Amino acid sequence: MSDVQKKTPAEILSSYDGRSLRIMEVCGTHTHEIFRLGIRKLLPPQVDLISGPGCPVCVTQVGFIDEAIWLAEHGATITTFGDLVRVPGTTGSLATARAAGGRVRVVYSPLDAVAYAREHADERVVFLSVGFETTVPAACLAVEQAKAEGLQNFSLLTANKTMPNAYAALRDSADVFLYPGHVHAITGTKLCEDLAAQGVSGVLAGFTAKELITALAVAVAKGAEGKPFFVNAYPRVVKPEGAPSAVALINKVMEPCDAEWRGLGVIEGSGLRLRGEYADVDARRVFQMPSIEGRANPACRCGEVLRGACKPSDCPLFGRGCTPQHAVGACMVSGEGACSAYYQYGGDLQ
Amino acid sequence: MSDKNSGHVTLAMGAGGKQTAELIERVFARRFDSPLLTADDAAVLDPPHGKMAMSTDGFIVSPAFFAGGNVGKLSICGTVNDLACMGARPLYLTCGFVIEEGYPLQKLEQIADSMATTAAEVGVTLVAGDTKVAGRGQVDGVFITTTGVGEVVEGVSPAGAKAAPGDAIIVTGDIGRHGCTILLERDDFGIEADVTSDCAPLWASVKAMLDVTHDIHVIRDATRGGVGTVLYEIAGQSNVGVRLDATVVPVDPAVGGVCRMLGLEPLYLACEGRLVVIAPRDVAPALVEALQACPYSVGAAIIGEVVDERPGWVVLNTEIGTQTLLPQPTGELLPRIC
Amino acid sequence: MCVGLSAKVVRIQDGTAIVDASGAKRDVSVALLDEVEPGDYVMVHAGIAIAKITDEDDHETDAVMEALYS
Repeated sequence: MSDVQKKTPAEILSSYDGRSLRIMEVCGTHTHEIFRLGIRKLLPPQVDLISGPGCPVCVTQVGFIDEAIWLAEHGATITTFGDLVRVPGTTGSLATARAAGGRVRVVYSPLDAVAYAREHADERVVFLSVGFETTVPAACLAVEQAKAEGLQNFSLLTANKTMPNAYAALRDSADVFLYPGHVHAITGTKLCEDLAAQGVSGVLAGFTAKELITALAVAVAKGAEGKPFFVNAYPRVVKPEGAPSAVALINKVMEPCDAEWRGLGVIEGSGLRLRGEYADVDARRVFQMPSIEGRANPACRCGEVLRGACKPSDCPLFGRGCTPQHAVGACMVSGEGACSAYYQYGGDLQ
Repeated sequence: MSDKNSGHVTLAMGAGGKQTAELIERVFARRFDSPLLTADDAAVLDPPHGKMAMSTDGFIVSPAFFAGGNVGKLSICGTVNDLACMGARPLYLTCGFVIEEGYPLQKLEQIADSMATTAAEVGVTLVAGDTKVAGRGQVDGVFITTTGVGEVVEGVSPAGAKAAPGDAIIVTGDIGRHGCTILLERDDFGIEADVTSDCAPLWASVKAMLDVTHDIHVIRDATRGGVGTVLYEIAGQSNVGVRLDATVVPVDPAVGGVCRMLGLEPLYLACEGRLVVIAPRDVAPALVEALQACPYSVGAAIIGEVVDERPGWVVLNTEIGTQTLLPQPTGELLPRIC
Repeated sequence: MCVGLSAKVVRIQDGTAIVDASGAKRDVSVALLDEVEPGDYVMVHAGIAIAKITDEDDHETDAVMEALYS
């Protein structure tokens, strides 16, 4: 790689004159940090950064919010990450359910939801379990702890997702993937290596300015060569073996299922649900919930945005009917959503 | 007053009779004592010289007591600071209380103590008050509304529409401490940090600036919504761009740590003792020096400038030398985790 | 997708650690990590430590670039 000899990561990016490259940052926190740090300004015009589907809020189907609202209306105390509160369901959000008298509490950790259940024995506490492999272990630990304590009033409403089959579904959407650092802190690097063997290139990226710029420089330098590759550019956190005890815990408590991703449709085996022996902490069973199907606003193009098939500003609702203050689609609600990032940071101008 | 009720506020104390008089005597009258505060129906006052500023604000904070203050101190600071932002020396205040039945009298006395201490420090006189008691559950503890009158220093007329390209932007200390303190006191997220509210009366700081120059374009106190919201308001009112240097905005390390933990932006955390000041660049260093000599603004710093480009927007110069927009305020602060 | 917080472990008790990020402290579970001691740095997500880490990124990014050149 003599042509990049001695260049800094920023110089590699600014001096790039090779083929055009589509780089997809899979992770929503990457999207957020890239905008917050103004990193797009460092990229040459041939490099297109696409914001992928790695924001759990954005890919959560409308019906899940409807289910959570149904629970709030049927006596449950909803505990949730703050990210989900303003996400629109078919007709309302958890914020509107709260205003209407529903009990909705924002927690930092699923373990805090267990603590709340312990201290409020007269309430039936449901934790909204969204998130990818990074977040699932925390939810599983919460379940195990609630069971160990014999709590009868704690359950999960699950919409968890996993990345392997999503990568397969996305493989043609980009030339290089920036892999989500914290997912692979749990699952390790084997999948990324296997993907490289199948022709899918990627760089595992961290979240500081230096880590992101370095990962992008590697993506550009290696991507220019056109040969499939994988580089772990976040080795201080991601070990090749990941966190085996976390993976074991996930497999003990949850099992794979087909899952609907907003915008991507149903991806086989890309979801997680509680195993049969954990039925007593499965909110859908505990509350004998009916089957609830949500309806997204038909004009919303979140789905195409999530696939990188269009930019947020191509959506007819963007900035008109849909703003962070009054969001129609989940991509505008989440601080990590591509639409929100474009709107708030002036993405079209960057 | 029966012994049984001596420790708590009762509905009878708000009924206007003897027990109301006893409540006022025990809690308020002796602390707010002044020749202007009488038992008559209204205060009769000398008018200010020149122009008069007037402002009113309601104060509800949960919890009512927090590190660095309480709702009483807040109710004085809030209105005093609103007057100060117009270049007005605070003269008179009125206060209206709505108190929940059952509220401990001892706490009410602490609140009144803080109000008296803060008012005395500023040199503002409490001239009238009102007390109502609401049934249990109808209010949460104590709600206070204060209304203030001040005398505008002659020749001074700061306003949100007066920011001009070339002006410097000053903040009078590290930001977001009040919002962070309240967030920690509520203990919703199990986080502990040594953070104290910035709640403070700022007339002395404003006075010190006016002694340097009367040519100050904007003074705003960054309360709800924090410094970021205030800057967006000013950018809109003045139709100018705001350019902030993200690396020099003063943030207490622990406030920064809490924000990183919860994915929050310190620029949107509330302050109750911080001003955003916009003034011509050439006087800004002298203003900062004057502010730093005042006890509640020792951390004053220039954090940015007013520009022509991108009117209505706040642009941040980032740690890596790029520029990005400060996301616009979205209302309720929600932690970002997953 | 997963906000991570790099924080220093200051105390450990029964599978729970108190971590410190610039003076902000919180209990987090360290049940998923093998060996953690006070003074270690961990990556925290949603109230659990997901990895033991080194706190600074200088050495890491230098090494990544070094590998790219070689």
